[in-house]
Amino acid sequence: MALKSSINSALAKFKHFYSSYELSRALVPLIVLIIASIAMSPQYFLNPMNIKVVLMQITPLALIATGEMPIILMGSIDLSPGSAQAATAMIAAILTRTTNNILLAIMAAVALGTLIGVINGVLVAKLRIYSFVATLAALVIWRSFVIIVSGGKLIYGLTQYAMFTQDFGTYIPIGFVLTVFIIIVVYVLLTRTVIGRYIYGLGSNEEAVRLAGVRADFVKFLAFTIAGTLYGLGGVMLIAMGGFAVDPWTARGNELNAIASCVLGGIMLTGGSGHPLGSLLGASMLTILTNILVLLGVTEIAVQQTVVGIVLIAAATALTRGLRYVK
Amino acid sequence: MEDRQALLAENIVKRFPGVVAVNNVTFELRYGEIHGLLGQNGAGKSTLLRVIYGVHKPDHGNIYIDGRKIVLKSPRDARMHGIALVHQEITVIPDLTVLENIALLGFSWNWLTSRFDYASFKEYIDRIMSRFRVELELSEKVRNLSAAERMLLQVVAALSINAKILLLDEPTSPLSLHEIERLFDVLNQLRKEGLATVFVTHRVNEAIDVCDRITILRNGEKIATVESRAIDVHTLIKLMLGREPEELYKVRTDKDVELVIGRYATEIPLIEMRNVSTQPQRAAEMPLKKINLKIYEGEVVAVFGFVGAGKTELGKALIGLTKISHGDFLYMGKRVKIKSPVDAVRYGIFYLPEDRKIEGIIPHFTVASNMDISSLNIVKRFGIFVDGARELRISLDMIKRLNIVTSSPYARITQLSGGNQQKVLVARAMLTKARLVIFDEPTVGIDVATKAEIRRLIFRYARERGVSSLVLTSDVDEALGLADRIYVMRDGEIIREYINRNVDRDEILKNLA
Repeated sequence: MALKSSINSALAKFKHFYSSYELSRALVPLIVLIIASIAMSPQYFLNPMNIKVVLMQITPLALIATGEMPIILMGSIDLSPGSAQAATAMIAAILTRTTNNILLAIMAAVALGTLIGVINGVLVAKLRIYSFVATLAALVIWRSFVIIVSGGKLIYGLTQYAMFTQDFGTYIPIGFVLTVFIIIVVYVLLTRTVIGRYIYGLGSNEEAVRLAGVRADFVKFLAFTIAGTLYGLGGVMLIAMGGFAVDPWTARGNELNAIASCVLGGIMLTGGSGHPLGSLLGASMLTILTNILVLLGVTEIAVQQTVVGIVLIAAATALTRGLRYVK
Repeated sequence: MEDRQALLAENIVKRFPGVVAVNNVTFELRYGEIHGLLGQNGAGKSTLLRVIYGVHKPDHGNIYIDGRKIVLKSPRDARMHGIALVHQEITVIPDLTVLENIALLGFSWNWLTSRFDYASFKEYIDRIMSRFRVELELSEKVRNLSAAERMLLQVVAALSINAKILLLDEPTSPLSLHEIERLFDVLNQLRKEGLATVFVTHRVNEAIDVCDRITILRNGEKIATVESRAIDVHTLIKLMLGREPEELYKVRTDKDVELVIGRYATEIPLIEMRNVSTQPQRAAEMPLKKINLKIYEGEVVAVFGFVGAGKTELGKALIGLTKISHGDFLYMGKRVKIKSPVDAVRYGIFYLPEDRKIEGIIPHFTVASNMDISSLNIVKRFGIFVDGARELRISLDMIKRLNIVTSSPYARITQLSGGNQQKVLVARAMLTKARLVIFDEPTVGIDVATKAEIRRLIFRYARERGVSSLVLTSDVDEALGLADRIYVMRDGEIIREYINRNVDRDEILKNLA
């Protein structure tokens, strides 16, 4: 009897914790997933090499998911991260090949990413095109850009980018550490600054925020621009973590992985709600999920994707429970 | 009148967070009658209607149709029981023809099982229309229809599914006088054919003209059900508006008014509108006609009129959301153009919306961040960072000064009652460096005690800080108790102006009767 009541009170406490902290929406499933992974095959999952591989895979995805996150928090959507990531990676690859100046290449990639974000921002905030449509166009256009500038050819052997994969301490790639640092900057932006306040406000009730006299269009523009910069960084990390090569169809479908990361990370697609570390946690979940499937011998992509899809549905259901309407 | 009971809604209670929208209301509807549901904004008319139509599930109470108890889980259930709602916000598809829209509205629940036969359906609708004397061109695109014709379309659609009970939610507000007559002709025909009609309105004259019986709601409670033959306009208005204890309203004295009157002749008004007219951009919007309005510094001005008189449109014209097509807008005697709320804030004009939920509160935010969303410039540090300590200090101060009931400044705004949410919004306005605050229906849907508190806050704020207030209200006692000057508005026009000194309440009301 005493045991039952103590279990009940522990459960109630957990419920309270789970429902009151936006971070726990993502943190709890991530921890469950990690424990499950360890339980299933500790010798593989905890293998230093595997941990490094997982962290390398998380890095580029976490960056574009973190770019996507403020846009989703605002109640909009961005479908361009996959193409933007490919375009910036391709530019960096070409410049690295031709000039052998990696710093210049990285700066160009980040600048192109920012430009892509600026264009998205203008289309949505100034020309008032639905973000879904505007960024769908961007998805197609920037992919075409990649195919044109690359001439349809694979660029490989960009070993200069190996510096990002070197160990920081023990089997943590430097690129991952840099990414976590950038995500912390975004975290501060979203939680501690006026812009972050407005971004959350727009997602929660745009009408009210506009009536309050906030320059809402400018905030939207800024969110898309910041996202673009992060896609550029994601492009650079794609080269570093993806075998020092870029092919014209690289990062195809990554826009969906970015959105899925946000959903798994507890960012509400209706806007206004979600913890700023959700994108990192969501990207980790998505990566670990694929990793554990591989370790279990499920190497077929189609099966992996099906499992990811099912997990996404489960996550989304948990996320929207209690809402009256969903669109 | 047949006198047979069509519908009985018994002891209906419907609560929303922070407010009891309908409180223990019993409503009886008979066949062959037009039953008026009369009340002010927030009286609970629409909520009651939605309970009857199955949109809202009542917290308490039962619904009987033809004496049988039923449970309505959705509008679909209601339609199955022969209840149809004619919407105020007109729900038709503009690119389809009249006939197609009728088919869509009518057959929406059994389209799977019934084969759609165009010719016989047209014949069926023609028969209904001639029986009820409705004139509509069935092949016309709905886009080209007037508001009244769209309303009639919905009525025909309801009749096509053999509805016995018709609910009309404020059908006359978007209609012109001529169109209203056309609608009333059809309503009379429905009565003759033995249908039961509920007619929701806030227009007293209409209720008396067209209804057989009238049920009056006020603040979610039923005041009375009366025979419209046995009542006069004046009594009905009194029942509808009600009188609440005088001292709750009197937040100012005649002496307060004396202080400002002297300035009218000499001073330049803070804001002036000269012959301002607007062009409506949406169907439900009331165009403003030649508005002349002055607001002096530190003055409390009320614009009184019923719902739909154009008060909100006037408020939004002042912050650039309703487009001014003619006339001048003057700020401190100079002509200015205000194109958006961002411009308005630059001029120190702040608008507090009528609909807290839709345009006011930011639901995911805490009490503190709801307060300072418009004034983050005074809370920020190093240009971009929100200073948490300062935010806490400011919000605690406001919570104390405005007597806001909340567990903490970091509580979610949605956990507060309606009245306290409104106080948070008042705090939002006070934190800005506004020179004019427009309060659109600041006390609608709020309990009596909090109402009085909010009124006192508005008045004190204007007097102590020299900030002008424009109060848009449909409550005559609010205007009388609060304002230095009162404008009376009807159908987009300002029809009278009073200096609020020894003004007779009934005389103001006479303007609207």
